[in-house]
Amino acid sequence: MASMLKAVNQVSPPLDERSKYLRRLIVRALDKGERGHIGSSMSLVEILRALYDDVLRFRPVEPKWPDRDRMILSKGHGCITLYVMLADKGFIPVETLDTFCHRDSILGGHPESNKIPGVEASTGALGHGLSIGVGMALAARMQKRDSRVFVVMGDGEINEGSVWEAALSAGKHKLSNLIAIVDYNKIQSAGPTREIQDLEPLLDKWRAFGFAAIDVDGHDLPQLRAALQSAPLERDRPTAIICHTVKGKGIPFAEHDPNWHHKAKVAPDVIAKMYAALE
Amino acid sequence: MTATASSESAKVEDFIACGAADAIPRFYGDALVEAARRDPRIVCLCADLRGSTETDLFARELPDRFVDAGIAEANMIGMAAGMARCGDIPFVHSFCVFVTRRCYDQVAVQVAYPALPVKIVGFLPGLTTMLGVSHQAIDDIALMRALPNMTIIEPSGSEQLGAAVEAALTVDGPVYLRMKRPDTAIPGLLPRSLTPGKGEILRLGRDGVIIACGVMVAAAMEASRRLAANGIDAGVVNMPTIKPLDETLVVESARRTGLIVVAENHSIIGGLGSAIAETLLEAGVSTGFARVGIQDRFAEGGSTPYLHAKFGLTADAIVEAYERAAGRRKAMLASSSAA
Repeated sequence: MASMLKAVNQVSPPLDERSKYLRRLIVRALDKGERGHIGSSMSLVEILRALYDDVLRFRPVEPKWPDRDRMILSKGHGCITLYVMLADKGFIPVETLDTFCHRDSILGGHPESNKIPGVEASTGALGHGLSIGVGMALAARMQKRDSRVFVVMGDGEINEGSVWEAALSAGKHKLSNLIAIVDYNKIQSAGPTREIQDLEPLLDKWRAFGFAAIDVDGHDLPQLRAALQSAPLERDRPTAIICHTVKGKGIPFAEHDPNWHHKAKVAPDVIAKMYAALE
Repeated sequence: MTATASSESAKVEDFIACGAADAIPRFYGDALVEAARRDPRIVCLCADLRGSTETDLFARELPDRFVDAGIAEANMIGMAAGMARCGDIPFVHSFCVFVTRRCYDQVAVQVAYPALPVKIVGFLPGLTTMLGVSHQAIDDIALMRALPNMTIIEPSGSEQLGAAVEAALTVDGPVYLRMKRPDTAIPGLLPRSLTPGKGEILRLGRDGVIIACGVMVAAAMEASRRLAANGIDAGVVNMPTIKPLDETLVVESARRTGLIVVAENHSIIGGLGSAIAETLLEAGVSTGFARVGIQDRFAEGGSTPYLHAKFGLTADAIVEAYERAAGRRKAMLASSSAA
């Protein structure tokens, strides 16, 4: 029950200006697109920020650089945060965020690798990403490249059996170049994970599948950086980092609320309140 | 019928004849190893069915490029997609049922949508196993046909198993190979080529054409012979690429003879028969038409000859279907002349 206790007692550091700025870009896309998985995107900001700012090796001008690290957003519905990071890093213009979910936009409701530079796989059908990551990690090893593969999953997503098929194979192949990350915001589509499909004891599950696993505060950047940069945590093992997060983080009236898992046509005054919360 | 077509048809029948008690040859497994020696991008994945998919050869010869995914087909497809995104050409293996239906979501979103060069190889097509309904792929062609970007290839028999590997490699994107291992040794087997997207005229035929794939090609040749004994000149087309369909040959065969019978070791829903019916109707070709296949029902375990007899996958069934199609043709001609 260690994980649950941590979640209940979690006191994350206050959001700094960059975390607020990135969240304002999320609100911008939500506003212009008139919809979005807002709660799922807000819980993910510090995880992707730490990855793109401090961990991943990539070249925005050469998105297919063979020696890049791979980052697969397996919880594809959190894509606004990914789009924001890709815009922030120069893979796409920031203005493209204003086309989110528009007709003919490259930025759809789930990320598509054939349309958006920097997106490594088309996700949205849950439970696919870790398998792809295992394949990429195996390919990197066979091709003698030192690329690392990061797969970010949702907590609801890991209800899917295919995740655990992939976890078994990662353990078998001792994929030390694979890092599985769970955005554990404790709320899935219809309600709390402990009611819909309890995951505990979650660290023990990953360890049983052969991973070196730790949990961190998923909004605490020093903790996130330390964990991500030290992977592999153990020699000859894949790594699992369970990130305890808050669904809707940064928007007080959306936090912990399943009703903010996805929202459409958010009223202008509510958008204004979201911006105000992120000043 | 031309002399060439006739002599070729004789060869096809020879291939189907049972051989001596030699070890069963492994045309597919050998061809895959040979291709992989030439092309370092080829990797092999298998869902714990090495012997049944002949990939034990690959595992032995090229162990560094072989991955046993265990009995986890969905993960195997996802892994293959990840490897393909890193420049590999993965061949993934299981029984036809499991490598299509079991992992359909992964095949659709992670292989077909991004059009990755993943070659999905299934064994035990249709009713070719004692193992019962759970292991009988009667809907795999329908499932794979519905996916954009997917090519579907089913060799006519052992003579095309090796060529199927080469064919899969000439297609840039995803391919589903629907394979059947030989039951016996086949002395003197002459390999045949297989051009993706092209049907192969085995007998030309003046009165009608039987279009078949897989094990039904041999049955179609036998049916054609029986019809010939009654003075009916029925041609036979081997259609090893089910998608994309050789529409030109289908339409030409129908326009020329006005009578098409389709025979497949698959449900009559969604397979080769459906594809040909759709093609003919949209081409505006009026033709006598009948389908031979599994009649929208689940089968049962049993020997292949028993199952094929019971579920209507025989030369007799094709002859009966031909007669039905001829009757429809006659009725159509009568009603059009009455009008």
